[in-house]
Amino acid sequence: MFRIFKERFKEGIKAEELKIRDENVEILGKQLKEKIDKYFQGSFAIREVDSGSCNACEYEISALSNPYYDIERFGVKFVASPKHADAIMITGCLTRNMYEAMMKAYENVPNPKFVIAVGDCALDGGIFKGSYAVMDGIKDKLPVDIWIKGCPPEPIDIISGLLMLLNQKFGE
Amino acid sequence: MVEELLKPIKDLIADYSFNTKNEIVIRTSDFNLAKVSQYLFRDLDCELATVIATDDRFSDDCCFTIRYVYSYHKKNVFFIVENKVKERFNSLANIIPALNWYEREIRDMFGLVPLNHPDPRPLVLFPENFPPDLHPLRKDFDIKTRPELKSYGKYEYKEVEGEGVFNILVGPIHAGIIEPGHFRFSLAGEHVLQLEIRHFWKHRGVEKLAEGKTAEEILEIVPRVSGDHSYAHTLAYVQAIEKLSNTEIPERAKYLRVLFAELERLMCNLNDVAWLFQDVAYSFGAQGMFILKEEVMRLNKALTGNRFNKNVLKIGGVSVDLNQEKVNLIIDKLGFIADKFEFYKKIIFDSASILDRFETTGRILYETVKELSCVGYTARASGLKSDIRKEHPYLIYDKLTFTSQTFEEGDCFARLKCRLSDIEDSISIIKEVLADLPDGEIFTQPNPLPANRWTLGYSEGQRGNIMYFVKTDKEGKIDRLKIRDPSFNNWQAIQWAVLGDIVADFPLVNKSLNLSYAGTDL
Repeated sequence: MFRIFKERFKEGIKAEELKIRDENVEILGKQLKEKIDKYFQGSFAIREVDSGSCNACEYEISALSNPYYDIERFGVKFVASPKHADAIMITGCLTRNMYEAMMKAYENVPNPKFVIAVGDCALDGGIFKGSYAVMDGIKDKLPVDIWIKGCPPEPIDIISGLLMLLNQKFGE
Repeated sequence: MVEELLKPIKDLIADYSFNTKNEIVIRTSDFNLAKVSQYLFRDLDCELATVIATDDRFSDDCCFTIRYVYSYHKKNVFFIVENKVKERFNSLANIIPALNWYEREIRDMFGLVPLNHPDPRPLVLFPENFPPDLHPLRKDFDIKTRPELKSYGKYEYKEVEGEGVFNILVGPIHAGIIEPGHFRFSLAGEHVLQLEIRHFWKHRGVEKLAEGKTAEEILEIVPRVSGDHSYAHTLAYVQAIEKLSNTEIPERAKYLRVLFAELERLMCNLNDVAWLFQDVAYSFGAQGMFILKEEVMRLNKALTGNRFNKNVLKIGGVSVDLNQEKVNLIIDKLGFIADKFEFYKKIIFDSASILDRFETTGRILYETVKELSCVGYTARASGLKSDIRKEHPYLIYDKLTFTSQTFEEGDCFARLKCRLSDIEDSISIIKEVLADLPDGEIFTQPNPLPANRWTLGYSEGQRGNIMYFVKTDKEGKIDRLKIRDPSFNNWQAIQWAVLGDIVADFPLVNKSLNLSYAGTDL
């Protein structure tokens, strides 16, 4: 136990060190937090659904929770139930087999809701466009509010994408 | 040597020939197929590496070909049994359980019927979404075909009956940020009686998409088969192409390829250990390991401009070179990671609350991994050696020293220990590579692909070996690309791992195997 505390104090708070190392996260995160505090009472809940991604997008979205980004301190939370969510985040092309499950998840997010498409394939299927097994992307199936491009988008891109979404909806 | 090995079955085979220097093609009759397969799988102790069907009806011999690839461990040899098929073929899944999913996949994708298959349900194409007569990998199927989206049938799940038996259904969409798959638990009280898994929710038609493309164009697709293994997948693919086109890459490129491959293995292993800690509610260790994983990803970004090293591999070499500054950066970062890792490793072995969750949980027996031909840490944790870097060395792996440790217990703790030893292996390999890094070119112009040839490409990803089969058509374009992610062989083992455990341990068991859904679904 003592050893753990010793390491803990030696290590310090990683998120603070970022001020020196990665200013972008801090600057964007602060703006994001202001918006979320103002319009969502400090908590913006996202339900993430993979409708056919290669799992690289998932890899980067889960990286948002590591101590370097720690996105929860800005008020963004990934939730288990779509019913608790303010927004649904979709990664990957839309496969035939996932179509029904994804639509159900979308319908269960209470209104008003946002649709966030993450990754190059999410909007129109990307390199998988035209295959028999996919319905391309979610472009003409769901009202997409923002598309965060990248293959996969880096964590910092996702943070700035979220900020762009809120700026777009609630003004700069 | 080969003659010696095949002597006991020399009356059963028509002939054999060398496709490349370690790929031996065996031709036999449909009647003797079972005996030949049994000899290779049981008596020679081969692993089933992959099974490939190709539609050759419009090219040479007006029927389909099924190739069973067996990997022989004691020598660097693959035995490939060829079987010509018209409409039906004899199922071997009853004698070699590892074939079960492969035969069902062939049935869906090619419409060839395996006779007497123990489980004739569809696998890849869900009857809820796809008409039963749709067989995408047939050459006369147009990739743009999109039948009406409606229910064409129903998938029958295996039911467990009895007093007090109930089912818990999970997925396809799970609670966390993970990929979709469906799990059905049948329980009596707290203990799992049966787990049935259903995958292929993310079937994207990758193999069909590859048809008719040039070798270069496919470099866009392979990194997106299974994102976290994008480098290892690309490596398996480019090695197949280079073997086909007879391109010898420069020595320095070989070293760099090993370096990046080990960086990816390191990143995935650190990530796995972090999630394993997270799942036993040991946040301190989990966040500590997430820091190390993020450090590797940032190192990747500094070296190649991409956090997954996605654009490093080219046919004929690599596109990124290292200067002294970058070499120093790697050594610095590795030192930092090794120090911290040492600290967390000590904690694991000291903490009773961690050990209690890991030990004896999710046990997979040696017999199970052997029968299913499991690969990677899933196999090594249960006492089955599996590391294609040692069995069929490529690049410079025959010059390097690494342990690739095996354990006997087969539980979650053994799989954790495999990861820990793999992390140490990767760090020492990278150091060795940097110490010996030769000077010279990093790229050579590849030769054009020959027409109508095929070969295997492989690499060791973090989950186990990745097998690629590449066949060219008469113009030297890709006629058939078969991808076998390690998860395809390993997924079935999870159904045995949870038996008798409580359902609350499932997330831990699942994480301890950490299989790719995207790589399986294709």
